[in-house]
Amino acid sequence: MAVMNIREAINRTLYEEMERDPSIIVLGEDVVGGAGTAGGQEAIGGIWGTTGGLFAKFGGDRVIDTPISESAIVGAAAGAALAGLRPVAELMFADFIGVSLDQLWNQMAKFRYMFGGKTKCPAVVRLIYGAGMNAAAQHSQSVYALLTAMPGLKVVLPTTPADAKGMLSEALHGDDPVMFFEHKALYGVKGEVPDGPFRQRFGEARMVREGGDVTMVTCGRMVGFCEKAADKLAADGIGTDLIDLRTTSPLDEEAILDSVEQTGRIVIVDESPPRCSVAADIAAIVAEKAFTSLKAPPRMITGQHSPIPFARELERAWLPSPQKIEDAARHVLAFR
Amino acid sequence: MANLKAFTMPKWGIEMAEGTIAEWAVGANEPFKRGAVLALVETDKITNEIEAEADGRFVRILAEAGGTYPVGALLAVLSDGEASDAEIDALIAGFRPADTSFTGEVATTPAPAASAAKPAAPAIPADTKISPVARAEAQAAGIDVAAIAGSGRGGRITAQDIAQATRPQTTPAPAGPYPTTPESDAYASPLARRLAHLNGIALSGVTGTGRKGRIGKADVLALIKPVAEAAPPRVEATPAPAPAVSAPAAASAAPPPAGDHVDVMPMSSMRRTIARRLTESKQTIPHFYVRRRIRADRLLGVRAAVTGQKPSVNDYLVRACALALMEVPQANIQVHGNEIHRFGQADIAIAVATERGLVTPIVKAADRLSVFDISRQMAELAQRARSNRLRGEEISGGSFSLSNLGGFGVEQFDAIINPPQGAILAVGAARPEPIDDDGAIRIVPVLHVSLSCDHRAIDGADGARFMQALAQLIEDPRLLD
Repeated sequence: MAVMNIREAINRTLYEEMERDPSIIVLGEDVVGGAGTAGGQEAIGGIWGTTGGLFAKFGGDRVIDTPISESAIVGAAAGAALAGLRPVAELMFADFIGVSLDQLWNQMAKFRYMFGGKTKCPAVVRLIYGAGMNAAAQHSQSVYALLTAMPGLKVVLPTTPADAKGMLSEALHGDDPVMFFEHKALYGVKGEVPDGPFRQRFGEARMVREGGDVTMVTCGRMVGFCEKAADKLAADGIGTDLIDLRTTSPLDEEAILDSVEQTGRIVIVDESPPRCSVAADIAAIVAEKAFTSLKAPPRMITGQHSPIPFARELERAWLPSPQKIEDAARHVLAFR
Repeated sequence: MANLKAFTMPKWGIEMAEGTIAEWAVGANEPFKRGAVLALVETDKITNEIEAEADGRFVRILAEAGGTYPVGALLAVLSDGEASDAEIDALIAGFRPADTSFTGEVATTPAPAASAAKPAAPAIPADTKISPVARAEAQAAGIDVAAIAGSGRGGRITAQDIAQATRPQTTPAPAGPYPTTPESDAYASPLARRLAHLNGIALSGVTGTGRKGRIGKADVLALIKPVAEAAPPRVEATPAPAPAVSAPAAASAAPPPAGDHVDVMPMSSMRRTIARRLTESKQTIPHFYVRRRIRADRLLGVRAAVTGQKPSVNDYLVRACALALMEVPQANIQVHGNEIHRFGQADIAIAVATERGLVTPIVKAADRLSVFDISRQMAELAQRARSNRLRGEEISGGSFSLSNLGGFGVEQFDAIINPPQGAILAVGAARPEPIDDDGAIRIVPVLHVSLSCDHRAIDGADGARFMQALAQLIEDPRLLD
């Protein structure tokens, strides 16, 4: 076990996997990084620092700076994957997924199905997402709901360094396209990471804590918010089942239902806007399959149905907060 | 074949371990409708009705009225049709109480029904795709899950699937399409149109209060109301000379509200419990009241001298009551039928007003606690009472109650005894009043207190002695240390 943050965990996993498998390549805007700077071509390793050192080790054939075109990045990754490589494409801001949607949902997600399994598309798209950094409406969004809704894609949201390693490694061993969402506010989160080969299966939620009085289901940065809320509740003797989904597709329906069947009360927390969100999806599953266990209507705490504001105060008000989550939990507990 | 179902002791709240069948409302083989009251079950704190989840009847009643049974115990067998004795015996033999995961003190009296339980339910193979709660419930209900098509992912069986398998089948009775008013020009919701049609109200020309003038249910109801008032008055029964025997009965006999601005709210179960218990108390317990003025200047002086977090006046009164009860043990009692239970310590219930109604958390052994300990405990109990987080043991028992409305400026009032306790003290505000202070007239804060006693167990002299002891303690607060 070594202690490192999520940024380092992703960087090291890429390094180790590229050493293991020569078919893995990395491409994206500034993933090499330093071209034109005083430090030289490999000085920076991407604006997020997740691809540092890869160019020096693996060279320009496997670590490729691209033009500023998400359509080209995702399209090239799809083609490379069909041709037998394992591309890891980086979208510096997940918000710009829009221009590459056809490459994603009509091509990548459907190749294996439409060619009757005769081909596969083992591409990983790393999408840097999330609000809370005062980055305004086009650089703050949580677009995982959009890709979760697309059959054929796996959608992964690590919240710990160990999960970042385990799930990135799992993606690089699998045969399907994986949308790997990295929250920009979580890069510095530290934790223990297992040494050596380590894979975390998709579709297995992480039980962050078990309490039994109220269920909280969430993913991404909201896991930490929920932990704060759960601490406050615990001080009043209220136990929380906190579920970190880890992957929204596949979804660990069983973890959610097993908990709700015991608590009868659920708060679903999601950083994206509420309509057609992962939160709404989970609320629907719970209403459909655990109706008889519910003691209170499911409660969703999400962003707002509006663009994410630039002003810090408004952005904070737009986002879920530990206080809002705590209030929601008390609300479902008080429901009669 | 009839659909047999176990009727078990319900679990109301995490701390409930057992309940007492106060009364069977339906006899064996007497048919009942869905929603009918089947039985009254009493716990330490509340009495609640168990309603029928579906039409049916009891084909066998196993538990006796007045008996106490653990949560999950088999009380009776329900059926939606004819059932042979053999089928009923098989269900009883195969019954296993649900795992209620209660780890506190569980009742030691075994239920006669539970003792007959034998593991006859088909075992659920370990590799069956089923949630843990569903597995436990299936085992408790003794049903074979092999026949259930799970609604979870990949056919996994959920608790809901088990609930569906154990409940009697219901057939909805569709009433057919409702007639609606044909007016197409009215901008109204379908429900509003239906209500308008049923009540013969024309909607054309009406502007609703909804968005863009849409006519909603409330708008139509507002139009209906004057018609209802103009209708001949409902024939009321001549007022009975005797008051209604119980609050619920009185409520059901109440006429519909006459005014425009009356909100009709059904009583919550907590409210119903308060209503029932206090009606019973006031009607069956011979209350008498002992009232007294007590000068409180010295007590307030002691409190004012406390540095840091000051206990409330009420905390001092809890302490004073506890010590007075030690001096006058005749008042430190519970009354159970023909028995008087005298307590060796002062467990004092404090009335706390919450949004949901009155609750009475208990300070246990207050005679052994300092006023500061009482203050800390009270703060926590009151906070938990308001957030509805009191545990069962914190609200059950008690030998004496204290109700203080002084905070509202109330000068004096009388309280109703909280059975089975023997007495309750009602405390008003400390108001400046003249007193005889060794021949001189002085104006000092004076408390008015009123003790309600159960005359079946406490005589006037006992109540008076308690008040004397209480007055001494409050007038010389050094005794409270």
